[in-house]
Amino acid sequence: MDRRRFVIGTTASAAALAAGPAFAQETFPSHAVTIINAFPPGGANDAVTRPLAAALEPILKQPVVVETKAGAGGQVGAQVAASSKPDGYTLLSHNNGISGYAEVDKLFGRAPKTTRADFIPLARLVADPILLVVNDQQPYKTLKDFVDDAKKRPDTIVYSSGGLYGATHLPVALLEKATGVPKLRHLPTNGGGPAITALLGNNAQASTQATSATLQHIKAGKLRALASFGGTRSKILPDVPTLKELGYNVEYYLWVGIFAPKGTPPQIVSILSPAIEKAANSDQFKTAVTNLGLEPGYLNAKNFAAFWDADAKRSDEAVKTIGKVQG
Amino acid sequence: METTFISLLHGFEVALQPANLWYAFLGCLVGTLVGVLPGIGPLSGISILLPVTFGLNATQAVIMLAGIYYGSQYGGSTTSILMRIPGEASSVMTCIDGNAMAKKGRAGAALCIAAVGSWIAGTFGIIMLTLIAPPLATLALRFGPPEYTALLVLGLIFLAYMSSTSLVRTLLMACLGLMLGMIGIDNMTGHFRYSFDLAELGDGIGIVPVAVGLFGLGEILATPSHKVVGEVITPKLRELLPNRQEWREAAMPIARGSVLGFIIGIIPGSAHIISSFLSYALEKKVSKHPEQFGKGAVAGVAGPESANNSASTGAFVPMLALGIPTGPITAVLIGALMVHGVSVGPQLVSEHPDVFWGFVASMYVGNLMLLALNLPLVGIFVSVLRIPYTYLYPMIIMFCIIGVYEVSHSIVDVWIMLIMGVLGYGLRKFSFDPAPLVLGLVIAPIFEQSLRQSLIMSNGNYLIFLSRPIALGLVIVSAVLLTLSAISFVLKRKDWRAKLAEAETAES
Amino acid sequence: MNLRSDHVGGGAFVGFGVLVLALSGDLPTGQLSMPGAGFLPKLIAAFTIIFGLALFFRARESEPLSTLGWSDGKHAALVIAITAAATALYTSLGFITTMMLMMIGLLVIVERRNVLRAALYSVCTVMVTYAVFVLVLKAPLLTGPLGF
Repeated sequence: MDRRRFVIGTTASAAALAAGPAFAQETFPSHAVTIINAFPPGGANDAVTRPLAAALEPILKQPVVVETKAGAGGQVGAQVAASSKPDGYTLLSHNNGISGYAEVDKLFGRAPKTTRADFIPLARLVADPILLVVNDQQPYKTLKDFVDDAKKRPDTIVYSSGGLYGATHLPVALLEKATGVPKLRHLPTNGGGPAITALLGNNAQASTQATSATLQHIKAGKLRALASFGGTRSKILPDVPTLKELGYNVEYYLWVGIFAPKGTPPQIVSILSPAIEKAANSDQFKTAVTNLGLEPGYLNAKNFAAFWDADAKRSDEAVKTIGKVQG
Repeated sequence: METTFISLLHGFEVALQPANLWYAFLGCLVGTLVGVLPGIGPLSGISILLPVTFGLNATQAVIMLAGIYYGSQYGGSTTSILMRIPGEASSVMTCIDGNAMAKKGRAGAALCIAAVGSWIAGTFGIIMLTLIAPPLATLALRFGPPEYTALLVLGLIFLAYMSSTSLVRTLLMACLGLMLGMIGIDNMTGHFRYSFDLAELGDGIGIVPVAVGLFGLGEILATPSHKVVGEVITPKLRELLPNRQEWREAAMPIARGSVLGFIIGIIPGSAHIISSFLSYALEKKVSKHPEQFGKGAVAGVAGPESANNSASTGAFVPMLALGIPTGPITAVLIGALMVHGVSVGPQLVSEHPDVFWGFVASMYVGNLMLLALNLPLVGIFVSVLRIPYTYLYPMIIMFCIIGVYEVSHSIVDVWIMLIMGVLGYGLRKFSFDPAPLVLGLVIAPIFEQSLRQSLIMSNGNYLIFLSRPIALGLVIVSAVLLTLSAISFVLKRKDWRAKLAEAETAES
Repeated sequence: MNLRSDHVGGGAFVGFGVLVLALSGDLPTGQLSMPGAGFLPKLIAAFTIIFGLALFFRARESEPLSTLGWSDGKHAALVIAITAAATALYTSLGFITTMMLMMIGLLVIVERRNVLRAALYSVCTVMVTYAVFVLVLKAPLLTGPLGF
């Protein structure tokens, strides 16, 4: 290759490089977008992500594929997404869990595999207020009954959760701290379904579970909701008081959000964000979500980032309160 | 009872509408495919096709999605029998005797027995579901951690009957399986155990990669192609059907498997996996010819296959009667109904009788469709064995890789499969039987969790296992079994010593 | 002492049990009333050692190590090597390319078949499988860098 051609060649490729992002901006997405779902079918993440993908397809005019990478309480999916190419073609659907891994790893002296800094929050899709529910055979009618009894008999009342340091375990720690209840006894299970089954069978007496997951059992009178961790009373269960009303400044939601890996170009984020906003506000998506008993809780990228910071602070606090489990 | 019958008739009216019949057929067809092809299990099959049902009404959606679920249980045995690849945990036991039957040229018979057994078990399950779902479901709720622990202790005792090798070998294999089952995050304390910093090992080692490696790949490694050249098994059409003798041998195992599977299936949680293992051990225990197991015993196919089908129907009991998911698959089905605005809970029958009874009736129809679909397919599937072994086994390895990778899209699982293949080859050389290893792997995480959960509930008091009626019953059964085998062990010892003494006196 | 197969088998299990115990150092054992993360693993590792020793000391009943046939070893090693290579390449090359290469490799290197026949068979099998998964089950198998 002679020198002149070499120069032309470099200029051309430099020009192509410079034009690259603009070019990408015009044509993104040019092929299928994958949303990695870090949780297996059967949970809220799967139930919310699939209708979103269906609503997103006509907006992006490209197929949107949901790929399940479940495992280790969502850590596998988070890790896969964090290490994927940040080109906007790989997104992540995750929930509360993504906030807590680093803190838990710190507790055990492990190097965290992913931290919050590995992800760009794009949108919160739903936020399902957590409820404190008890089995209907238990005598508690109000939160006060429950708290009083728990203070009288420390380490006796058993509560079930979907997993250690998970989204249905942390709210109990927040509640214990706010109400001054010395200790409730923790029965970890492997998922939201088994935790509710344990509660229904009276193998556990209380649990903090998402509204959508317990609604049917509350309506059927098998479970009793004592308090809601939501900021305001839920439209579906208007009789359940919020903890804030009862004088405890505690708030906690089971939320599902969409993330992009760190390093995704801002131009691409600025295409994806409005597209997800449009999809999340489509009738198709809203109907699907409402039927699941969830309240649509869309937040755009900016508001979600602020919410996520506050939520992560709560979650870190709760993990520290729980500390390392004996045994 | 009468009202049940009238409601069921109404259900048939719903189920037999042409559109609903069509969706039931579609579900069964996809389910059969999902079952036959390794990798795509019913869970991913259903969740992939879930958005397709958004355009249908709730009844049609659940008819079709449930069709995929129980349809896949029919197909699950196919690769086990033909290629020794268990597509999912519930068909692990089928591959031992099913594949041995195929080697004797009885692949068609094995597939037929699996299909008919599945049909009988499925139909039995639905009859039970129709008649006594609500009281059964309440009983199922009382099955908490202590009951689980007791059930699994019983399972561990059954382990001893799993293999025909000596007791020490069986126990060693079981220990190995139990240890493999301990890998991953400890649910109770959050410790990572033996996971070597791999997040993929956080949830532990899957049953499918281990079983496919030990049985599928291990078999290929131990079977050099030059030994089987020219030994192509070409089944004749006449020999596709089981003969009278085989039917007779299959009858009782199918009946026992149906009942056992249904009882285990209604328990919420992951117990349904062990139904086929328990059925296999039970059949071996009651069989007059336990030595035939592992060498192509008909009962070793008929029992587990019926049990696993009946368990999958039993899983619908807590789901329909109480709205509790017994496992991830029923959870997805509940989600599918909720997306259509039908909330699943104790009031489902009264609020949506069309959905409930239409769904129940469609299962009777669907099971019949599956039988009609599967029996003719037997002939086609068996012709796979006409491919010369040299060409067949590369294809089997390909299916092993797809089957393992697609379950959770993890290449780590494929490596595990490969390691297990090598291990399976080694174990065979040193005459160990891998079946107890797989049962150990299945039992370990559930046993450990439920034991520790029970102790949390009782604050460390072991009396909890004796103070709850169901748990106590299971503990008594375990104790009786242990005592019986201890007695027979002592008697045998005496026998052997007596013989030795005789021999000695004769000598002197 | 004649080395017999159970000497090796039992010994391997003893070694494995010891290895597990060594790896469990940081796991809390807890007590019988509240078993910790390391309780059952250590217990079972101990049992493995005991049963392994039992096998070792009863090894006289087993056949001598030298009678184990390893004639299939070469075939097995080749198959493992090719499958391992395919596993290593699977995520980067995608389903179609890797599986075709693996099947051709097995048929040509291990089985010494005609390259053309092997290639034809592999291509057909892989393509049919791919089509079934993509078209019927809507579950696309892994794609490689070239989009297939």
